[in-house]
Amino acid sequence: MTVPTVRYTDERLPNGLRLVISEDHLVPVVAVNIWYDVGSKHEQPGKTGFAHLFEHVMFQGSRHVAKAEHIALVQAAGGSMNGTTWLDRTNYFETMPSHQLELALWLEADRMGTLLDALSQENLDNQRAVVKNEKRSSYDNQPYGTWQEKLLGHIYPEGHPYHHPTIGSMADLDAASLEDVAAFFRTYYAPNNAVLSIVGDVDPGQARAWVGRYFGPLAANPAIPAFDPDPLPLTLGGEIRETVPDRVPLPRIYVGFRAPRIGDPRLYALEIAAQVLAGGKGSRLHRRLVRDEQVAQDVAMFGLGFSSGPSVFMGWATVRPDSTIEAVEAALLDELARIGVDPISDDELGRAKALIETDELAALQRVSERADRLSMYATLLDDPDEINRQLERYLAVTREDVRAACAELLVAANRVVLTYVPADAGARSAEAA
Amino acid sequence: MNLSDPVEAALGVRPVPGTPRPFTFPAASRGRLSGGLPLVTVHLPGRPLVSASLYLPNGAVDEPADEGGAAVLTARALTEGTLRRDAVALTEAAERLGASLRAEAGWDATVVGVDVPAERLGPALELLAEVVREPAFPEREVERLRDQRLNDLLQAKVDPARRAEEAFIETIYAASTPYARLAGGRRETVEALDASILRRAYARPGDPGRAALIVGGDLAGIDVAGLVEPLFGDLAAGAARVGASATEPSIGDGLDRTRVRLVHRPGAVQSELRVGHLGLPRRTPDYHAVTVMAMILGGLFNSRLNMKLREEKGYTYGAGAGFDFRRFAGPFSARAAVNTDATVPALVDLLAELRRIRDAAPTDAEMRAARDYLVGVFPLRFETPGPIVGALGGIVTFGLPEDELDRYRPAIDAVAAGDVLQAARAHLHLERIAIVVVGDADAVGADLEKAGIGDVEVVREAEPVVDEA
Repeated sequence: MTVPTVRYTDERLPNGLRLVISEDHLVPVVAVNIWYDVGSKHEQPGKTGFAHLFEHVMFQGSRHVAKAEHIALVQAAGGSMNGTTWLDRTNYFETMPSHQLELALWLEADRMGTLLDALSQENLDNQRAVVKNEKRSSYDNQPYGTWQEKLLGHIYPEGHPYHHPTIGSMADLDAASLEDVAAFFRTYYAPNNAVLSIVGDVDPGQARAWVGRYFGPLAANPAIPAFDPDPLPLTLGGEIRETVPDRVPLPRIYVGFRAPRIGDPRLYALEIAAQVLAGGKGSRLHRRLVRDEQVAQDVAMFGLGFSSGPSVFMGWATVRPDSTIEAVEAALLDELARIGVDPISDDELGRAKALIETDELAALQRVSERADRLSMYATLLDDPDEINRQLERYLAVTREDVRAACAELLVAANRVVLTYVPADAGARSAEAA
Repeated sequence: MNLSDPVEAALGVRPVPGTPRPFTFPAASRGRLSGGLPLVTVHLPGRPLVSASLYLPNGAVDEPADEGGAAVLTARALTEGTLRRDAVALTEAAERLGASLRAEAGWDATVVGVDVPAERLGPALELLAEVVREPAFPEREVERLRDQRLNDLLQAKVDPARRAEEAFIETIYAASTPYARLAGGRRETVEALDASILRRAYARPGDPGRAALIVGGDLAGIDVAGLVEPLFGDLAAGAARVGASATEPSIGDGLDRTRVRLVHRPGAVQSELRVGHLGLPRRTPDYHAVTVMAMILGGLFNSRLNMKLREEKGYTYGAGAGFDFRRFAGPFSARAAVNTDATVPALVDLLAELRRIRDAAPTDAEMRAARDYLVGVFPLRFETPGPIVGALGGIVTFGLPEDELDRYRPAIDAVAAGDVLQAARAHLHLERIAIVVVGDADAVGADLEKAGIGDVEVVREAEPVVDEA
């Protein structure tokens, strides 16, 4: 089986906007996707959560678009849209019926060029309240909801750009002024800091003309600050453990490791290891912890790839009520050690690759996913063609590559262990008070 | 407009849409295997990942109350081993094909399927048949799956959204109604499930008119009928699958008045709100008008609820409302998670929006936004084989006309503002509505009493704490 090659063009407007276009006329649908090279890693101390708050502000209107009208126009055109913020970037995307492409381009250009015309204290205050409720919903009021903040906090030292989560500190958000938000926009939301991908039922000549017309006049920012954090060692240099009492009925053990940054071949080997360890019912951890020993309710293992420092390789196991934290942790750590000693079998490697191949095929079916990946590889690796290289990079991984990467990285001295334990009722009410 | 400003010159005029490229729902060919099982195939050129699903009529709604959760657990157990090989061997065989085997039951159906690259469709269908025709229901695996479900129920108690769902359905449905429990069952019934009950549940006769094998993807050069005839040819003719279920479940209303239930979650930073009542079955004649109404009320981002509670007040990350259409009357609910301080004001606003959509017809702009969205987004929903097969499966499960998907867009387009008003008045019931709040009763209870929405019943049940063995 071969995953079809994604054909595309890659060019830059005079103002620096990178434009990637890929045609596919199977369905009358087109995806528009913009990655801005700004994420929570760019935030300054005391201003955490800005990139994400700003993503909300991007839906509050611009010179020619009223508050909430962006989404209204897209939905009334039969489209869907969203924006997301992550450590390395912020992205915005629409999937549209193809005859509505021009609308999506105009909307994106209007907010890239004229957002500040519509910025108001009222809208900022409203979205600050919405973001606080997002934090309450997605983190504070969720069982195990603090794991991301805690894990990143341990894997990256205080002061490192990846130390804090994208949602940021509510105190910092409270302190955000209109001028702070405007300055953030002027610095990072410039055409020369963005990649625009258009994928699907599109006439490239027509799309290019529209992009030139709407984005062409927008001014570049010649002074985007360089981002070059001090490199961290690839491993932690010691084990870090924390026990977290939480409102949970079942204990859960999270493990996290530093891993190589995006683009490093070892990261592909680790992704294969994740598949062998916990990718479905045939995997080692599922088989041992869930099925045979029946000590865990569920297991997971995956990588979070980052571009400006070490990535994270992580997972968890939830402890069954009739088992113990010690039993689960021992079995989990044993399997993480074993995969670095004996090479995985040919059959394990083959199955992992077959599943990854199907996953790639499934993901690349959708124009929205293709557009997001083209933007991603252009932004993070300066090469959209990585979209066509991923499968071969996975298929090139050998049993020994997996063993060596695991032996190097999945070690105690590079490990964070977070253990969530049920808080007793007394501790709980004290916490609430 | 200042034309000397190049940005203004470029952006000052809104674009107008081009001419839509016609889209029709992909054509399905329908046939029958020799034993009577309908076979539906959809050829989708350029989609090499094929999706195949067998729809069976076994749903949770038809199971006896004391076996609540059996259908869901049965479906999970299907991929846990066959008469020929155990769960691990079965999983490995699928993985070698790059295939994922799935089996899932809901209220109305059990769906067993596989997604696989087209060139390996044959062997993947063989595995699918093995799972469907020769499940072993091994005792040990069934017990493990049952324990996992019980643990999941423990975890649901501390998840505010899941806790709210559970309290909500217990409030709106009469206790004797299947929909008063979760499709996956309650602790008391799940605890009693074992392999013999699952085998019996799987063999329970269902309506053969609601079964079909549906295959979608790039099927060029593949004789699907030839592949499946030897595997499923005698299905639906066997004794196990004939005859409609003898009795239809009774769906009883649990509300005779407005009820406010406050489930205490000490120290909660948000209140999880569910407001609603019995909704409608999928085959309601008002389906399209109700769908447009629900979009305006709480479906679109710019719906009345989201604009009020999120974009105006900032009480929530998102508010919405909708009907859960099932074979029988599923719930209607409006929902939001709001910061604790905003609990009562948010409820007041939410109820006001329910009242308002019954008071007057929506504006032309609201009608246009909802209809244009539903009609326009239709092609986006059906980009890939999985959702196309799923939509065709819905036709089978709900017993809808074969041209239902072709009629959808004209039917939505034909909905008028008066139809929406009529649908709101007929199907939203403010005089007897359930209001469930999962939040800190000590912080919001007194204000909730004072608000005069209805008598407040506070549920203080200890959250489960599990001692380590």
